[in-house]
Amino acid sequence: MLIEVNHKVHAIPPEWREERLLDFLREYLGLTGSKFGCGAGLCGACTVTVDGVAQRSCSLNVQSVVGAEVKTIEGLSADSQVAHALQQAWMDIAVPQCGYCQAGQIMNAAALLEENPHPTDEEIEHAMDGNLCRCGTYNRIRSAIKDVAGRS
Amino acid sequence: MKRRTFLLGAGAVVGFPLAGCVVTKIIPVLPKRPMPDGQAAMGWIHFEEGNYFLDLPRIEMGQNITTGLKQVACEELGIEWGDLEVRMQQTSRIERVRSTVGSESVANFAIPLAQACATLRDAISEGKLKGRLDLIERPLSELKMFNQATKVIGKSPRLEHVEKIVRGEPLYAADMRLKGMLFGRVLRAPIAGDIPSAPKGWNKEAASAITGFVSIVSEGIGALGRSKGIGIVAKTPGALDRIADALNVEWSVEDGPSQAAIEAALDIDEVASKGAFSNIVQDVGNVAEGSWDVDLRFDIPAAAHAAIEPRAAVSNYYAKGKVELWVGNQDIFFVRDVIAKHLSLSQSDVIVNAQRVGGGFGGKSICTVELEAAVLSRAVGVPVKVQWTREQEFAQAFHRPPSSHRIQVALENKKMSTWHHRFVSSHILLTNAAAPEWIQALADTFVGDMGVARGAKIPYAVENQRTEYDLVRLPYFTGPWRGLGAGPNALAVESAVDECASQAISDPIEFRLRHLKDERLRRVLERVRNMSGWRTRGAANSQGMRRGMGVACGVYKDMSYSATVVGVLVSDKGEVKIEHIWCAQDSGLIINPDQVRAQCEGNHVWGIGMVLTDGLTYSDFAIEESQFSDAPIPRLSSIPPMTIELLEQGDPPAGAGETSIVSAAAALANAICDATGHRIVKFPVSTLDLEVKTVG
Repeated sequence: MLIEVNHKVHAIPPEWREERLLDFLREYLGLTGSKFGCGAGLCGACTVTVDGVAQRSCSLNVQSVVGAEVKTIEGLSADSQVAHALQQAWMDIAVPQCGYCQAGQIMNAAALLEENPHPTDEEIEHAMDGNLCRCGTYNRIRSAIKDVAGRS
Repeated sequence: MKRRTFLLGAGAVVGFPLAGCVVTKIIPVLPKRPMPDGQAAMGWIHFEEGNYFLDLPRIEMGQNITTGLKQVACEELGIEWGDLEVRMQQTSRIERVRSTVGSESVANFAIPLAQACATLRDAISEGKLKGRLDLIERPLSELKMFNQATKVIGKSPRLEHVEKIVRGEPLYAADMRLKGMLFGRVLRAPIAGDIPSAPKGWNKEAASAITGFVSIVSEGIGALGRSKGIGIVAKTPGALDRIADALNVEWSVEDGPSQAAIEAALDIDEVASKGAFSNIVQDVGNVAEGSWDVDLRFDIPAAAHAAIEPRAAVSNYYAKGKVELWVGNQDIFFVRDVIAKHLSLSQSDVIVNAQRVGGGFGGKSICTVELEAAVLSRAVGVPVKVQWTREQEFAQAFHRPPSSHRIQVALENKKMSTWHHRFVSSHILLTNAAAPEWIQALADTFVGDMGVARGAKIPYAVENQRTEYDLVRLPYFTGPWRGLGAGPNALAVESAVDECASQAISDPIEFRLRHLKDERLRRVLERVRNMSGWRTRGAANSQGMRRGMGVACGVYKDMSYSATVVGVLVSDKGEVKIEHIWCAQDSGLIINPDQVRAQCEGNHVWGIGMVLTDGLTYSDFAIEESQFSDAPIPRLSSIPPMTIELLEQGDPPAGAGETSIVSAAAALANAICDATGHRIVKFPVSTLDLEVKTVG
């Protein structure tokens, strides 16, 4: 049983086959960028993309993505030396406070821009409304996405 | 002066008021932790083999103090940004420091750090690179941070950690992975933590049959309050759920107070009918019963911190009787002491490493998950990671206590002449998650709880005023939440002041200014009036929308000042759309303007939550809510554009992390009242209270 994450193929050992995708990523593959927040798909901290679509990895069984292409925050930038435009905007605008939700925010935004490179304000709100941030960095998240959408 | 007033005003009681008392097995002696001085700061800054290191004396939890204190150090040392490496706190590397609470990190740590850096800089320039360095204290005016021309103070350099954050590199407690690490959880009865409960029976056979099962740990688990637990350890995180289900623990549970009893205990009018209040915050002039022009009751519920990171810890128990932990906690020295005491180890055999905290807000300031991880790792002899589930966060963490307020005001010549504020709440600094009943009872009688009292003293000159409160111990845990009592107290106070302005047929800003002598508070209020174009837009209602504007202001911990104006639209159905937020804040000298702004933005999001979303219910002997679905927090779509101005006029640096929580919520509540005519007295407000009622 194989899984493709960030363009690398991994075998899923038998004792990990009943695990959530999030736990498999974090604890078996060591990709700890995706975070555990609620375990119920309600906060978005665990967001990854599966075949380009934003998904809550806490609510997927690892077996459910066999055959699909999973991308995590660690694989967002194709070039490890150069940050993805969203990551760059996040740094330039100093979006993060505690930072815990931000990988999920960025992955969710990446999926949005992949599908719709020039979203309206309403489309950004609609796409990002399921990603919670308790520190209250929402306005900077909005600005960073608009920045990237405007540039591309 | 009344005795209680004296005690509250004495200023000597900071943090945990009864420091030094040994209370239960797992609560160690709480040593005194004075504010740091320059000599203490000498232990934070090092020059080793040509490299500079700063051992951060604070916990990083999103206030980005790593960046702020690095700015202070680089400025004073006169070195480049890249020449200083900042290390997160570790208990074995620096002397005990105060818990990271109360917005103190810049206010009380920046100057000592600058003093130490100045001493180190001069020693290096004189070639003194060996031996002990003693602080040479200098006048503040000689510190570079107070110079006109600074290099990094007052700037906003790229945040420390920000690249790691956006790239998803490991930073937080739960990101730590150790060889052979297992996963643990402590199960507790599904009832509030101050109601005694313990595991009575469990199905070991069924649990052992689950794939990934490692161990059941029934001995030595510390109680959380009065809730005793049973531990499980597994090879994978997901197996914990399955083992917990199979284990099917049966609980013995003592009787707890009913929902009705708790509601009655928190009913300010019931409390007031029983006689005098135990704690007096302010008593000036003569407050007699009389006829009131404004007589309002406000009820503000319990609220969760709802940090997106559920608390986590990784513990590695070494065979030789040492334990090392990686934690996301606001006080790693307290964690060390609790664990040393519980495991009967010396403090030096417990090493605690601070990781970046994924949201603290006061909620990660006691030892909980850390002890669970330590006990489980000792039991199985290998490293164990424990991260609470979201459900555990709601059920077992301490929350902002609910409060019920009665505020009565008499007006004379369009001014407040008598102010009487009585309220009832539960413990904050003396959280029942750590302090047993007898300590709370002692405190209730003698010193009150300064956390509950915070922000209750009004900044307005009113001839006769009395503010007093009572405390009740609740069955669920309550404790520090952003701003402590200042959030709810200011919400009640500033709502009442707004009603007074309305009764006095006065502009709410003019009305406030009429009572304000404090120049700094006047300044932020006048500034926000100009910024916001205060009420010059008219109350144009269109397409079933009612428009309103509200204001509030306040002082946080006598050190920083905030005034907020909020513009709202409320639909006929009662939906609130916030149009814009304006805030003027004065936190004294600013080290990093962008991050002061960020804290100000965050506090306003919290203010929105306080009015529109935050609320927990005690029902069936437990906190009823268990997920973000039934305890929502503000979302992106509910956040309006914000215009923030920081005023800075040569005052010393103060705190900014909680400042504008004193104006954020009430300004929104007052704007909603301006739009709808509905004075919000029960929070969070329901759309039912705001919808246009059709008569007939």
